[in-house]
Amino acid sequence: MSTAAATVRRRRVRLVLVAVVAVLLVAAPLILPAFANQTLVRIGVYAVAVLGLNIIMGYTGQVNLGQIFFVGLGAYVTAYGVNHGWNILLVFVAACAIAGVVGLLVALAAARLGGLAIAMVTIALPIVGVPLAKRLADFTGGSQGVSARFTDAPDWSGLANDQWQFYIVLVVVAGAFLLARSLVHGKYGRAFAAVRENEAVAASMGISPYRTKVLAFTIASVFGGASGFLYLAAVQYTSPETLSFGHSISLLAAMVIGGAGSIAGSLLGGAYYVLVPQLTNAIDPNLTTVSQGAILLAVLFLLPGGLVSLPRVVRRLTRRPPARRSISRPAAETSQQTTPAHRPVPDAAPEEREQTERQDGP
Amino acid sequence: METFIQLVVDGLATGSIYAALALAIVLVNQATGLINFAQGGMAVLSAYIAYVFVQLGLPIIVAILIAVVLSFVFGALVERFLVRRFERGDPDTAVVVTIGLLTLVTGISAVLWGYNNLAFPSLFPLTSVEILGAVVSVRSLATAVTIVVIMVVLQLLFLRTKLGLALRAVADNPSSAAFSGLPVGRLLMVGWGLAATLGAIAGVLVAPQLTLTPGMLDTALVYALAAVILGGLNSPIGCVVAASAIGVLENLVAVYVPLIGHDLKIAVPFVLIFVILILRPQGLFGRKVVVRV
Repeated sequence: MSTAAATVRRRRVRLVLVAVVAVLLVAAPLILPAFANQTLVRIGVYAVAVLGLNIIMGYTGQVNLGQIFFVGLGAYVTAYGVNHGWNILLVFVAACAIAGVVGLLVALAAARLGGLAIAMVTIALPIVGVPLAKRLADFTGGSQGVSARFTDAPDWSGLANDQWQFYIVLVVVAGAFLLARSLVHGKYGRAFAAVRENEAVAASMGISPYRTKVLAFTIASVFGGASGFLYLAAVQYTSPETLSFGHSISLLAAMVIGGAGSIAGSLLGGAYYVLVPQLTNAIDPNLTTVSQGAILLAVLFLLPGGLVSLPRVVRRLTRRPPARRSISRPAAETSQQTTPAHRPVPDAAPEEREQTERQDGP
Repeated sequence: METFIQLVVDGLATGSIYAALALAIVLVNQATGLINFAQGGMAVLSAYIAYVFVQLGLPIIVAILIAVVLSFVFGALVERFLVRRFERGDPDTAVVVTIGLLTLVTGISAVLWGYNNLAFPSLFPLTSVEILGAVVSVRSLATAVTIVVIMVVLQLLFLRTKLGLALRAVADNPSSAAFSGLPVGRLLMVGWGLAATLGAIAGVLVAPQLTLTPGMLDTALVYALAAVILGGLNSPIGCVVAASAIGVLENLVAVYVPLIGHDLKIAVPFVLIFVILILRPQGLFGRKVVVRV
């Protein structure tokens, strides 16, 4: 079987898979109970935040401990806009744009520092952000927080509120993931990877590490702002607690556990961020932090690619001989070696393969 | 004027706590080339350990000494069994490891002792003395003096002893140090142990003032990191100066600049960083690092 046919078939399988998932996602809120919908909505909210973090950290290799700050900023801007009667599209654009501009300003200074110093500066964002949010009470409602309702289902739709919210979040999340996918597969994605691997090499190829880092950080902030918009769409309330230091650490943990440098991993990260604390809180609230630390360290030791690499690792462990066979076959056909002694795999399986190959060959 | 002197001495005391944490971070960075974000969390755990021994009825100084020794062991074990695997690899992964460690250690403190604030007894008397007409608490003065003494001891250890020489050799060039017969692995463990010890001392000195909670030193860690950035990662003296300056400056700003006040004073070092970064990217005392390809 030629590889071209296999690729075509794989692509077809993937298209069918995408279509099935899309239909399922559109149908899901109509069937599922409200609680499940709300959980899925919150997964979507944090998946976008994790996705942004992934762009700066997973793809560009700059540790960012301040992502939650931009989520909170987006949420506050959304609340302000909604409460002042802005058009909802304008609110969304403002939430993304203001987070992006603040991110740009932070990045312009932080990216001047090499490597780890970005982590050391960004850790200050949530720590400064909480008292700042309390102080700017006119804008943020102080410690009380601020609430804003704009996601009640309109009458013509005939939907319940949670279903309507689900569709809003679904549209934005799908858009964000498609955009991020194009970004990391394109020119900028390659620039990000070059900067992550070796800044000197990137610079020698005409990619400015400084500008690339600033760009990636700004994009990450925009995603954070979008996530904040969704947060308010789902929760309808925000307070200084939203952008606390602990949440920022959890977001980073979710990103690594889901899979750094992986689009699908961001979705898993969002799911982890929502589901695991829910589970541990149900058992004992004091366990939440310690379990997060233990899971994060376990993933770093055992599964450095995150949960998204789990199928690959399992496949490698369980089906080692067939996997090798499919790789070595084309090479064997061209080189036409006949003596099994030269084979790197001294198993029973290669012997068998030799025989079939000899029958196939000229 | 009296308020001013009081603020400066209090600032020096908190600044010395930041300095101890910052020095611990520099120590780890010199030895293993990574930033230990768990330094504060480990220090809190040490303070809790001291608290347990105080509860058992031991005198406070004995409890602190026990906690300090245990912290040394804990730091060394963390290096050997957790960090060693990530040391010469990708520094970003190593940073995430220390963040995982921070979460784990904070979580352990929370599981064992809960999130409620616990009162920690002070090592020093809570009286005050008069200096130049200003009333200054003995605790602030004694804290600052203790940390300064420990720093001098540490400096002597590094510059005047064989162990210090070996530690510096490993930090400078691990493979050459290994070729000349130094036990690199064990020295790295000693480096981490010393850093944990420094953190522990900072933790028990600041605990009476902040009261014990699992997140007690999160803010102090941020100040220490700011001091490290300002002072330069390769300059212990620079870090100490920067930490003291931050401690004093934030105290003065909190009182004399109403716009910032006590709640936003943590923004002070970061505004400073932003200004300095634009003027002097390598830090106040740091050397410019030239990277060779």
